Amino acid sequence: MSAELIESRPAPSAPRPWSFPSFERRDIAGGRVIACHLPGKPLAVVSLVLTSGATSEPAGKEGVALLLARALSEGTSSRDAYGFAVAGEGLGASWRADADWDSFRCGFEVPAHQLLAATELLAEAIREPALDDPTLDRVRDERLDELALDLSQPGPRASMAFAGAVFTADSRYSRLDGGDVQTVAGLTPDDIRAFHHDRIGPAVATLVLVGDLDGTDVDAVGRVMFDGWHNDVSPAAPVNVATNGGPRRVVLVDRPGSVQSMVYAGHDAPNRKTPDFVPMTTMSLALGGMFNSRLNLKLREEKGYTYGAFGGFDCRRDGGIFVARAAVQTAVTGAAVTELMNELEALHEGGLTAEELDRARSYRAGIFPINFAGPGAVASGLGDVVVHGHPDDHFDRLRAEIQATTLDQVNETTVTRLRPDEAVIVVVGDAAAVRDDFTGLPLEVVSDED
Amino acid sequence: MPTLPHYPFSLHTLDNGLRVVVSEEHLAPVVAVNIWYDVGSRHETPGRTGFAHLFEHLMFQGSRNVGRTDHFGMISEAGGTLNGTTWCDRTNYYETVPSNHLETALWLEADRMGGLLDALDQDNLDNQRDVVKNEKRQTRDNQPYGRWLELFHELGYPAGHPYQHSTIGSMEDLDAASLEDARNFYSTWYAPDNAVLSIVGDVETDAALAAVRKYFEGIPAKGSFPDPPPSTVPSHIGEEIRQVVPDRVPVPRVFVGYRIPPFGTTEFDAVEVLATILGGGRGSRLYKSLVLDHPLLQPPDGNVLSPWPFVGGAALLIADLPAREGVDPAELEAAYHELAQVGEVPEAEMERARALITSEWLHHLATVDGRADMFSQFTTLFDEPALVNDMLPRLLAVTAKDVQDIATQVIRPDNRVVLVFEPESQAAAA
Repeated sequence: MSAELIESRPAPSAPRPWSFPSFERRDIAGGRVIACHLPGKPLAVVSLVLTSGATSEPAGKEGVALLLARALSEGTSSRDAYGFAVAGEGLGASWRADADWDSFRCGFEVPAHQLLAATELLAEAIREPALDDPTLDRVRDERLDELALDLSQPGPRASMAFAGAVFTADSRYSRLDGGDVQTVAGLTPDDIRAFHHDRIGPAVATLVLVGDLDGTDVDAVGRVMFDGWHNDVSPAAPVNVATNGGPRRVVLVDRPGSVQSMVYAGHDAPNRKTPDFVPMTTMSLALGGMFNSRLNLKLREEKGYTYGAFGGFDCRRDGGIFVARAAVQTAVTGAAVTELMNELEALHEGGLTAEELDRARSYRAGIFPINFAGPGAVASGLGDVVVHGHPDDHFDRLRAEIQATTLDQVNETTVTRLRPDEAVIVVVGDAAAVRDDFTGLPLEVVSDED
Repeated sequence: MPTLPHYPFSLHTLDNGLRVVVSEEHLAPVVAVNIWYDVGSRHETPGRTGFAHLFEHLMFQGSRNVGRTDHFGMISEAGGTLNGTTWCDRTNYYETVPSNHLETALWLEADRMGGLLDALDQDNLDNQRDVVKNEKRQTRDNQPYGRWLELFHELGYPAGHPYQHSTIGSMEDLDAASLEDARNFYSTWYAPDNAVLSIVGDVETDAALAAVRKYFEGIPAKGSFPDPPPSTVPSHIGEEIRQVVPDRVPVPRVFVGYRIPPFGTTEFDAVEVLATILGGGRGSRLYKSLVLDHPLLQPPDGNVLSPWPFVGGAALLIADLPAREGVDPAELEAAYHELAQVGEVPEAEMERARALITSEWLHHLATVDGRADMFSQFTTLFDEPALVNDMLPRLLAVTAKDVQDIATQVIRPDNRVVLVFEPESQAAAA
């Protein structure tokens, strides 16, 4: 028996309006607090956001911010690492601490009624961490083990080689935000303590509270965090973003026995404040940020070369990168790179169609309520507002700007922001099997161990 | 303890057997649509491993009224997210969309539930076979330690058992899959009376049900389905199974797996608490001893021990133990086995575990899509959607004695699979 199905696609009903959750800013005990009340959510987030990320690390100390993030939960003036862990877990709180390019964030996801108690622990960790030698040595060694594992995987290995190929060696962006084996191995307990002393203080910090705040005394939480915390910290200087430049070339990282080649192709890109940020990043959605993007349709759905192909911009405070990437079967490496570069060239020269822009725009504007569905995502968004100095109505403005983006604006960015002729193409794969695929281009082969 | 949330829901069955769970929440203008089909890799026939998953890919290749890339396209343009996953016991498909696009998601799901064969062809199959083979390469074959998962299937169950192979299957079987296999698989398993549809979020229950009827009512019931292959298996492995795998890896990594009672039993609940006592969080016994006091273990990202929630015969509990650089895996393994002897569990440890389990559970249920998947899961596997609200109280009722009892029953040398990955150069030198 055959099914009776409705033939035509249903029309959507009228959308219910949505806006980014409202929040308030308070100055409490000399510190900045952002409080966002989301009713009906049993879990809340408390996060201290500092503008002291990897770009504020001293030269030669790359990776120290992440080590400090790891070390904060390893003991305080009044608790050892185990004591700190069970104190948080007894509240049902899970600790998160991380450093990225432009920020340092730490805090808890915690049942809402325990926000004050969790903030007491957070304040203890950030203001009075023990940072003793044996613990810091262990934290560094654990990080080295983690780096060894990362670099044995094709994606992180390609990411590292790409950064080093695009930016000059004296740019912070030539290494990954978490540093690399050479820099991390050289970090001492004194380096980690110095970063804490020089870069962590209330002047560069904002406390973000998100969740059902009925029953939480926000002022009391703010006082616990900031009262009596004095440490003068000045903002970090901008990063040198110098690139190696030059025409299209290939860096082949030899990983013998690989059954796939990991391909990363791209170049440097503007920073987060670039005036064409919205048209540029909407354009890149149509190129490689959605399932039905040009890259994925070509390399996956038409050719079957890969499980997925992607491309997009990573815009940081001082600069950025554009990367198109895919893990492709070894035997089709050359063909896949050709197809990928053809897509970049075609978009660079011909721009998007009106239909493609329409799809990218409606996806990107439509996804806001889903992307900000819970306290964790909202806290993360508010952290971005803090780090980049966005206005309070940033996300609603951003959404309106996306909806208003025109084809002319977008196609200006395909010309200026995609530069396939200057692309660095990193391939992590079996050099013996794929090196002949790149005979027409300048080729540098590097050992997996480098 | 926080006040535990109670999520309201209603369960309805259409004339064609489709079970529908609707749960309203109006905090945001968003709705999650989630379908579980009661078919997974355990239903595959010999020589066709990986087929349920390959078939999942074909479900995104268009259907009677939906063009080849339109399923992804229409949901994306609506501002939604979507995907599908395959597991041993089921296949699921889901969309989260702005709530005014509910009917788009329902229409798309109905069209492929009832009309997939109108669009299925050899080109789609060949293309997605290549994609899936690249998925296997990317997620397993080209990754350090990438074989561990399929090895646990192979070693944890006897030959021919439905859990003895992993969902991704083998390259040979993927190559052998034919268009006829795909048509038969669809005709055998994909029907409203073998599915559960959950709708969670910004909807009115009556209107949502009316829309479900509109799109799904015309799909006929199939009536009966083959029994899955028998999954009965002894509750203990009966010996220690050990395999050393030389691999291109930076450091040794030891995995220890145990056969445990299946998901859904109160014994499985006790295993979840046991896993938290031993290896959940930084205050757990394994973390304290093996990361902090005598560093042998790399700090885990999540929990050291994970139960695999199989429902047929027996499930597995697996400990993942990556060694620190320079540590002898034998020393790590010996230290682990000693710590895994649980003994007394003081109430303070139980309280820590309960607090953690509560937060983890609230985290899973916090989003409409997470909750929709849970409603589909509990309805498909146990015909009991109320477990979305009742499972956490069940876990919190597990006692210290329950934990000790299950540990005594499960953590035994004659009930374990030990898998040791060693760096190739080191293995050669040894």
